[in-house]
Amino acid sequence: MRTEPRTILNFLSNYFDIIKELFDVQLKDGLVRKEDLNAILAEHDSDILNKLIEYKFFKKIADDYEIRPMYFKFLEFILSEFKPLLPETIEKYEHSITSLFKKIKEGINKDRNILLQRISDLNNEVRDFTEAVEKNTLRLIAETKELKSNVDKIDYREKVRKASFWIDYYITPLNTILDVSHANSITNRLLDISQYINIRRLNFDDELARQQFEKLYTFLVQTNDDLLRQSKILTNELLPLIERIRSESMILTGWIEFLKNPNKSETPFIPKSLRAYPYNNAMYFNSLEYVQQYMQNDDVYLEDPNLSASDKWIFNKEFYREQLMKELPMPNFFEWAGITLRGEYEDIETEKFFSLSTLLFEDDIELEFDPTADRQVIRTTEMNLRVPKIKIKRHGLS
Amino acid sequence: MDFPRYHKEIVGDLLDGKFILATDAKFIELKNNADFYGKFFKETFEFYLDIKSDYAYLISEETMEMLSRDICIFIGLLCYELDKEGKNFLDEIQYAEFDSEMIDNLLDNSSYTDLIMNNNQLKNSEARKQFLGTLNRRNIIDRNSDKKFTFTPAYKVFMDFAKNFAKGKLATAGTEEDNE
Repeated sequence: MRTEPRTILNFLSNYFDIIKELFDVQLKDGLVRKEDLNAILAEHDSDILNKLIEYKFFKKIADDYEIRPMYFKFLEFILSEFKPLLPETIEKYEHSITSLFKKIKEGINKDRNILLQRISDLNNEVRDFTEAVEKNTLRLIAETKELKSNVDKIDYREKVRKASFWIDYYITPLNTILDVSHANSITNRLLDISQYINIRRLNFDDELARQQFEKLYTFLVQTNDDLLRQSKILTNELLPLIERIRSESMILTGWIEFLKNPNKSETPFIPKSLRAYPYNNAMYFNSLEYVQQYMQNDDVYLEDPNLSASDKWIFNKEFYREQLMKELPMPNFFEWAGITLRGEYEDIETEKFFSLSTLLFEDDIELEFDPTADRQVIRTTEMNLRVPKIKIKRHGLS
Repeated sequence: MDFPRYHKEIVGDLLDGKFILATDAKFIELKNNADFYGKFFKETFEFYLDIKSDYAYLISEETMEMLSRDICIFIGLLCYELDKEGKNFLDEIQYAEFDSEMIDNLLDNSSYTDLIMNNNQLKNSEARKQFLGTLNRRNIIDRNSDKKFTFTPAYKVFMDFAKNFAKGKLATAGTEEDNE
């Protein structure tokens, strides 16, 4: 007995949660295994298997079940969840469309009914083709967005693997099929067909065939627009989106590698802040001051001093030693040295003062000084010397 | 000799290690005189001027420069931690507003504890605050308030670095495998 369509739709509506779960299982595994079916029915505490078979929802395959294609497609459509077709599967339409088109051209003046049937078949093939492309694009967008939002928090390596998979097996080949600039693309084939049909719809003798050509032409124009749109989605949205995932993962790989040993890696970047760069104000004034020293050059004349070897002062150690010995014991050696030099010369020259100081190292004298006592200052021509008070007496004698 | 407009500021900013952004009036002047400035920095300081579509900066051959390294570590850690949270770090860094508390939270809970604790710029909240100040002065981030900031397009330099680093590593790994 034939079931009322409304009853079937009510049944699908009432048990939609179970139906959806069965659909998901088949989408994933290609069929519904007996144990999966029992688990789902047990979970919902429901026994609708007989109804599913009665309404021809299920086809039994050995112990397992398969959702019949018309129900499956219907569910795919209302759920917008499509199993992606491999581009080579989509490409088969190219052969069927090309073959039908060839037969239309060859049989254009032959049997009218066959021609009408072929036009109708071509129409159906083109429609199936565009639907397949649209389903794939929708599925690819969903997959890509899921990858991008990463709700499941999948590992970045897995993300790259998935992105690469979608690009290599689906997006790029699909793009080739749709690429207008590609000579063998289906899109180009459809353009050729629409040009031919365009002429026929205007000049074909038979009116019914003309109407069919007109219908097919309108459909082809619309299809071309649709395919162009799908191609644009692929080129403008999907490829950049998925490329970004790839690029993002490449960057992350770089960071992870870098962070393993950041101090040993080269980072050839921005220069250090140069505090004394030639354009800061201080540098300008400093440079100006420096340069200005050389702005006015006074002539400087250098004359060789007229000194002969005999003019050079030579330390007569013996002479001063005798003088020192006469004065012993002496309360302050440096004072004596200062007075002695000043008695002979106008100023005390450092060199002469140091020469006289060497007398302190003579063997037959004894030195004595208080390190805590104040020091006295002797002014020489070049410097002020702070020296201690050193008492001197003959060695061994008081 | 006539110098381009903003010459002093352009040279000053770049030598201070700042990025000049496309939103800055100086950028157009720099771009219009790209040849002159390219030669100027090369001949005078041995620096390379890189002008991209939305920022310009000087590149030094001093590869052990510590601040660059610290910035790389900071951005690298940020990307890693954002990814760990399941976020698209590129989108986050390009569009999102960060605040210092969030940065503290990410770094304090990071698994790179040793790296962070041994880095004077990143070891604690106070150091990070100073560090963010430096990034702000160099136009790598843009402070929206005391605690909130966004990244400027200058972040791309560091992403390119990471990408090239990965390529280098992958190439090395490939060579090693070939040798085995």
